[in-house]
Amino acid sequence: MLISLQWIRDFVNLPTDLDPRDLAERVTVSTAEVEGVTPIHIDAQGLIAAKVISATEVPKKRNLKLVELEIGGDNTVRTATAAPVLHVGSNVVFAPVGASVATTGVIKATTIAGAPSEGMILPGEALGIPLAMQEAVFLGDEFQPGQALPAKLFEDWVIEIDNKSITHRPDLWGHYGMAREIAAIFGLPLSSYPITPEAELSSSNLPDVAITIADAHACRRFTALRLEGVPTIPAPLWMQLRIGRIGMRPISGLVDLTNYVMADLGQPMHAFDADHVPDIEVNWAYEGETLQTLDGMERTLTTESLVVQSQGKSLSLAGVMGGLNTEVVDSTDSLLLESANWDPIVIRRTAHRLSLRTDAAARFEKSLDPANTTQSIQRFHLLAKAMYPEMKITGRLSDNYPGKPEPVVVAVNPQHVKRTLGRSCNLEEAINLLSPLGFSIEQNGDAWYVNVPSFRATGDVSIEADVIEEIIRRVGFDAVEPSMPRVSMRDIKMNPMHELEMRSLEFFCLAERFHEVNSYIWYATDWLKQLGMEAGDCIELRNPAAEGLHQLRRLMMPGMLAAVQRNRFHFSSFNLMDLGSVFEPHPQGDQEHRHLALVSARRGKKEENACLSQIKRAIGQWAWLRFGQQVTYTSASVLAECPWENPHRTATVALGDTIVGRVSVVEPGTRRAMDEHLSAWSIACAELRLDNLASLTTTTEKLGTIPDHPQIDMDFSILVPASSHYEAIAGQIAGFEHNLLKQIRYVDSYEGKSVGEGNRSLTFRTVIGSQARTLSEGDANGFQQAFETFVTKLGFAIRK
Amino acid sequence: MTLDELNKQLAQIELQVACGVRELNLIDAVRSFESSVLGKQGLIGLLLKNIRDYPADERGQVGQIINRAKAKAKAIIDARLSEIEREAVAKESQGASDVDPTLPGDVESLGSLHPVTMVQLEIERIFERFGFTVETGPEMESEYNNFDALNIPADHPARDMQDTFWLNNNQVLRTHTSPVQHRAMKKFGAPLRIIAPGRCFRYETLDASHENTFHQVEGLVIDDEISIPNLIAMSKALLQEVMQRDVKLRVRPGFFPFVEPGLEIDMNCQICGGSGCATCKQSGWVEILPAGMVHPNVLQAGGIDPDRYSGFAFGLGLTRLAMMKYGIRDIRVLNSGDLRPIVCAQRLGGPILVNHTT
Ligand SMILES: [Zn+2]
Repeated sequence: MLISLQWIRDFVNLPTDLDPRDLAERVTVSTAEVEGVTPIHIDAQGLIAAKVISATEVPKKRNLKLVELEIGGDNTVRTATAAPVLHVGSNVVFAPVGASVATTGVIKATTIAGAPSEGMILPGEALGIPLAMQEAVFLGDEFQPGQALPAKLFEDWVIEIDNKSITHRPDLWGHYGMAREIAAIFGLPLSSYPITPEAELSSSNLPDVAITIADAHACRRFTALRLEGVPTIPAPLWMQLRIGRIGMRPISGLVDLTNYVMADLGQPMHAFDADHVPDIEVNWAYEGETLQTLDGMERTLTTESLVVQSQGKSLSLAGVMGGLNTEVVDSTDSLLLESANWDPIVIRRTAHRLSLRTDAAARFEKSLDPANTTQSIQRFHLLAKAMYPEMKITGRLSDNYPGKPEPVVVAVNPQHVKRTLGRSCNLEEAINLLSPLGFSIEQNGDAWYVNVPSFRATGDVSIEADVIEEIIRRVGFDAVEPSMPRVSMRDIKMNPMHELEMRSLEFFCLAERFHEVNSYIWYATDWLKQLGMEAGDCIELRNPAAEGLHQLRRLMMPGMLAAVQRNRFHFSSFNLMDLGSVFEPHPQGDQEHRHLALVSARRGKKEENACLSQIKRAIGQWAWLRFGQQVTYTSASVLAECPWENPHRTATVALGDTIVGRVSVVEPGTRRAMDEHLSAWSIACAELRLDNLASLTTTTEKLGTIPDHPQIDMDFSILVPASSHYEAIAGQIAGFEHNLLKQIRYVDSYEGKSVGEGNRSLTFRTVIGSQARTLSEGDANGFQQAFETFVTKLGFAIRK
Repeated sequence: MTLDELNKQLAQIELQVACGVRELNLIDAVRSFESSVLGKQGLIGLLLKNIRDYPADERGQVGQIINRAKAKAKAIIDARLSEIEREAVAKESQGASDVDPTLPGDVESLGSLHPVTMVQLEIERIFERFGFTVETGPEMESEYNNFDALNIPADHPARDMQDTFWLNNNQVLRTHTSPVQHRAMKKFGAPLRIIAPGRCFRYETLDASHENTFHQVEGLVIDDEISIPNLIAMSKALLQEVMQRDVKLRVRPGFFPFVEPGLEIDMNCQICGGSGCATCKQSGWVEILPAGMVHPNVLQAGGIDPDRYSGFAFGLGLTRLAMMKYGIRDIRVLNSGDLRPIVCAQRLGGPILVNHTT
């Protein structure tokens, strides 16, 4: 929202040498964020009013007119202009030869289109009203031709307030409310709001405007005034300049005046052509009813649309936009002025449903002060009187106020003020701080009773904490001495799941050089299709970020494979990990699980074992370090949900008896489908569910011992078919029994020329020993023979 | 042989040893030379054998003379032996001259954590030092936990489809980490000191500075006498620690339904230092920490008596902080999976000699 400093000065006598940037900073730290401060520096010299006495089209030059203007006495000047609506009798802002404004410099006599030009009709833009979009600024009778225009009218500063910082403060959506804050900040008095006394408007000699309200909740108050003698004239120059600077386009006296009051008090009003409005009824529209709004659009209404009607005919969309049938036009001389108070939710729904976010709707949505209705009409009347000397009241100020709220009084415990402020604040200080904002306080016993002014009582200030906020705002955050909290010590355990997650990420990063990536928690349908994957039963987004992004992921691997595809252009080998949530519909309540996904990818088809083995080494070390558990892999068949799994190279991962996930080599078809270049790559992947692991107790490691008598290590390499699986062989080897046997462990697996085509050599290390004696050579030979016999009986050969 | 002659002969032998040993370069040759001089049949050995030829009263003196000469010869030979060993060691170390001590070590890439995770770990460490517990909550939240429990009314625009991702099970993707405030209050009661980092979601159109998926960290302190001055002091300590330097704060009113009073805490722009630049929109300040005193309705919803306890809460955009810290200009790279913009090049291979990338 834009604020004019010149306008603010109407209500607060700010020091003349005040730097507007300092003002902005003080408003920011005590009221609302100022986003910008812009000087309106026109530096007008010698501008005058000038009246058009003739206007002729320039042949062959469209849009250009030659005009003659009266500039006082019998003096006339000639100039050319592009102003389209200029006609004889128009009074405009004119810069004669020798005059200047900042953007044009000094105006010189020249020749335009072959005719002498003795000055310039100034466009709105040159006068600091960029939205005017007009080539001339029209004046009423306030300035006679030739009369000098006061330079200081054109000088101002525009302060931009961040709308988001005042959504909860309807009182700040007008200059008067903002002036109240500024007056309080600077410790200056605020002028009382200039209005026509109510008595002057409500003379009982005049007829009433009949107002009926069908729903007091939707329309809390409706106030009207009927006027006559308001011809179409331009608004006063000062008014046009002010509304122009704050982003509204000067249109005509009446529209500008309504807009002015809206920006002044924050209250939108509406003027009907009174000839069509004998009385007022506020009612719900009937389903399917249509209304042509001021923007020319035909709107279809529902029973949730609130309308202002007369004689059963809908005239306007309450609080949102007027109707075309009662639009005030040039011939209008009699009008009915509406100022009402609407339920914010009704307005928001209607504006939202019709996509009609008007200025009025935006303000009513914020829950305006019902006291504004009469005040705005009184304010309007005061300003209109000066503009329309012939104006008469034909229907007195009529007010239907069925939704009058109870005054808001908030009980405040001064101890709570002290607690929040960090120091005590007595009643006197509180009164001094709050009264400039319109609050008053009475003490009763230990409590303060704070009377909230009506303009802060529409939801903004309703509880003790709200009052405390006002106090601290007034004290100033910069006046607060920071101090560390005094806290109580409690024994709260670290969240085990979180610990597991963070330490796991650190482990995989440090120990096995995985790179952590993040991805979205929803599937991309196109990518799943590319992978040949069925998403399965997913929780879905009602409003996905884009088409095809509606399914929440059940697995992280599709996202990981997408990351592999993205990085293959830039790296020839890499390991990726991601830790995040996956989601599953469930009859007992949909579930969220935490998964860790690992991928190892290397260029070259023959790296599959290396990739898989790196992932497994990482998982094995992690499982031992984290949980003191060995990992076992059991071959598994491919899941329908995981079409990338190579059916021959997929296993489940178990910690002890708990299956925690799956590890596999990505099958060639998937690699090809991902990207043809990846057909020459090796990719292995694992996805682990962490949820159940957090509660797994870490067993303390049992350390080694030095035996009383030396032990002997003996390695045996066993030749097995290359296609056989470790899980089966290890299971059989583990069945060997011998009285000297202390330990058997896996050493390595080897395939190569020396073991023959189609074979694999698995090496196990046995340790033998005795508690009672040192072993002899005979013991060792005996053991070797026993073990070899055992292996041979299993059907395998020992590799010598 | 007279004593005189003996002395002369010994001097002769000494000279012979000194010259002879210098010709020898192998340890074994020196050893056999040594026995040819000092051995029983050696030059000096034979002299010692003949000692009986001298009169008894001279034998002592002769023995002394010969032994002295023997020691001298031994010293000369030993000196040569150690000289040869030194030469051998010197030769061996020189022989390894194809080892270049200035060559970089084996080239292996380092792993990396996501920039957001790195910042999160840093923040967690800071707060653990202050005795905070790290709590987490689900990304799929109930409407109640995400809104109602946080005093966000039913008709609040934040609940609109344009702001919040809604699920077909009537839950939402949490729009902030604040639901963890409520969960923690329910779980632990007061007094309480937690931070809650995590992923959040807002319905946003993606561009260089807007993401629909981002990370926040929430902080919450509830105790007997928690005040605004406490909140300001804590914020300052936090930001100084994160930025690793003195920072200036500007505290101003802010409005969030779950706090009252609500505050916006700005930090002096770390890019321009406060003089104004594009990052701070020429204001010299960046909005960094929305905060405030926990709204009594929020305490109540969490089962905590607002008369008895007060508290403050704040939110910190982890994603934003990571972008500031690592100079990431486009927020979209963080969820793209592309390693290049989220990993330091030095981690990805050998030492870099020339680096013109920025
Ligand atoms: Zn800056």
